[in-house]
Amino acid sequence: MTDQLATAYLETVRARALSPQGGFALQAGGSFQVDATAWAVLALKALGQGAALLDAARARLAAQQLADGRVILSPEHPETFWPTPLAILAWHRAPAQREAQARAVRFLLATAGRHWPRGKDNTFLHDPSIKGWPWIAETHSWVEPTALAVMALKITGYGEHARVKEAIRLLLDRQLPGGGWNYGNTKVFNQELFPFPESTGMALNALRGDARPEEIQKSLAYLKSGVRKVRTPLALGWGLLGLAAWGEEPREAPAWTSECLGRQEKYGPYDTASLSVLCLAARAPQGLASIFKE
Amino acid sequence: MEHQEDNQSQTRWSRRDFLSRSLAGAVLGISGYWAWRRFLSGGLSRLLVREETAETFIARAPRYRMDLASLILQGLKELGIGPQEVRGKRILLKPNLVESIAGAEHINTHPLVVRAAVEAFLHLGAGRVLVAEGVGHRRDSLLVLEESGLADVLFEDRIPFVDLNVDPVYTLANARGATCLATLTFPETLRQVDWIVSLAKMKTHHWAGVTLSMKNLFGVMPGRYYGWPKNVLHLAGIEGSILDINAALKPHLALVDGILGMEGDGPIMGTPKAAGVLVMGRNLPAVDATCARIMGIDPWRIRYLAGAAESRLGPIQESNIRQRGETIASVRTPFGLIEAIPAHRDISL
Repeated sequence: MTDQLATAYLETVRARALSPQGGFALQAGGSFQVDATAWAVLALKALGQGAALLDAARARLAAQQLADGRVILSPEHPETFWPTPLAILAWHRAPAQREAQARAVRFLLATAGRHWPRGKDNTFLHDPSIKGWPWIAETHSWVEPTALAVMALKITGYGEHARVKEAIRLLLDRQLPGGGWNYGNTKVFNQELFPFPESTGMALNALRGDARPEEIQKSLAYLKSGVRKVRTPLALGWGLLGLAAWGEEPREAPAWTSECLGRQEKYGPYDTASLSVLCLAARAPQGLASIFKE
Repeated sequence: MEHQEDNQSQTRWSRRDFLSRSLAGAVLGISGYWAWRRFLSGGLSRLLVREETAETFIARAPRYRMDLASLILQGLKELGIGPQEVRGKRILLKPNLVESIAGAEHINTHPLVVRAAVEAFLHLGAGRVLVAEGVGHRRDSLLVLEESGLADVLFEDRIPFVDLNVDPVYTLANARGATCLATLTFPETLRQVDWIVSLAKMKTHHWAGVTLSMKNLFGVMPGRYYGWPKNVLHLAGIEGSILDINAALKPHLALVDGILGMEGDGPIMGTPKAAGVLVMGRNLPAVDATCARIMGIDPWRIRYLAGAAESRLGPIQESNIRQRGETIASVRTPFGLIEAIPAHRDISL
């Protein structure tokens, strides 16, 4: 991302920062959103900007944490714990949230979705017994929450934990036979489903360093071709992050990013979470984990 | 002892007796089962339910590039919906957008149907018409809008779009209770409008049998609270969730895009099937029952439609639905079903 685009990003998220309570809204004038806040923290960290906003935002995320460590959308909905790995990433190396981060990690390690033994029928191809993480309590494990949890646990030093190893197995099991990932089903009634660039990018980030190149080769090939066709912030951002995680970021990435940002004239301002992912893609040369390198 | 022997001789069957009686029993059993499947599936509700009546309108629409707005206006008129009822109202159109493949017209509600519905409501004096959806499988809603072709229509016609997956929410007690869900969480936008219109696609569905206007309302449930896919509802039971959502929302109108539908392994992986119709009505179960009959499917064998009739959400008995426009028989287009899919077995008319 050029400095000009970084400046534009900063201007946008500053207008969405909530004062004095901290955190960010999805759009200017909106209310606090956990995921928007976590993604903005990560993007600001990658840019090395907004120190004052970062502290307040991280503290606001901590206010969304329950005693058992989960980070939720709202107190009325304790089942919505999918922002927990996002908060772990946003709190990384923040001294004031060290304890909060440790509790969130303990929560993830102790929590799994609903799983069951593989049946004899061929309704689903994937192995439903492998544990990852769900979006919502007491539901099945899916690709995005599992990939984010793997990234959060690896960055905090739990890369060798049995739950992380099992989750990596889950991600490989949910890889489509033709390459790529979608939300988390591979074949249903013997039909192979379609891959999505955004899911593929997330899974490839989570698998960095934990899969052999030949295991993800088809997915990289899918993403290299798929990302050329998308100019929306979430799919393009995660697509580029996925390729970057495996050293395959295309030369045209800056031009695509500019084109994507330009489409806001047509669609209106992008939400904070999507815009932050796009910004991160421009500042994370080896995937999301690389923003945490000293 | 003697008496005992006598008894034994009376009850002892010969091999021939045994075989013939077994055969008769089997024939009787199979016949009974067949009759039950044929005439009484959907429980005894087909015989016992006392239904209200409703009206649906079927328009022949062989292609998308025609004056669909006029057809919709004609349908609204036939249904008794005119300017007096629509003037000043805030209308929310809920299309079916689940996934997208660029250029595929059989997966999502066609953008030209959305445009025509907007034009029709504005023509009748609606105060505001907006399009809203909480895309079911993909997190990048904007990409689905682009790939489905809807983004261009919304942009060209300056139609507002609300992403229901990220809308603020409100929570209600689950009054219908067809599932174990104690509450239902809806996007705030739904209670800021006067009418909710289910703008569905005519498709077979590998879990529910068919997906039409009632199932389409699954899409309003926000992914942030139900997941991508909306797994909370899947695990609570798809049929029950459909009934709970419809009972809570009380939608005002259904318009089903059957110009190009989907048969086989719907709602995503099936194949295009042109039925050449738009089907409309104020009552969603009645509209869906009519669509099912057009597709060659018995609505009483679709569990959530039978459930809708039982719980008096609307009629599905053909004799209780007054048909306007084309007749069902004149547009009937049987949709292909897949025997290996349990939800497709024994649902044909």
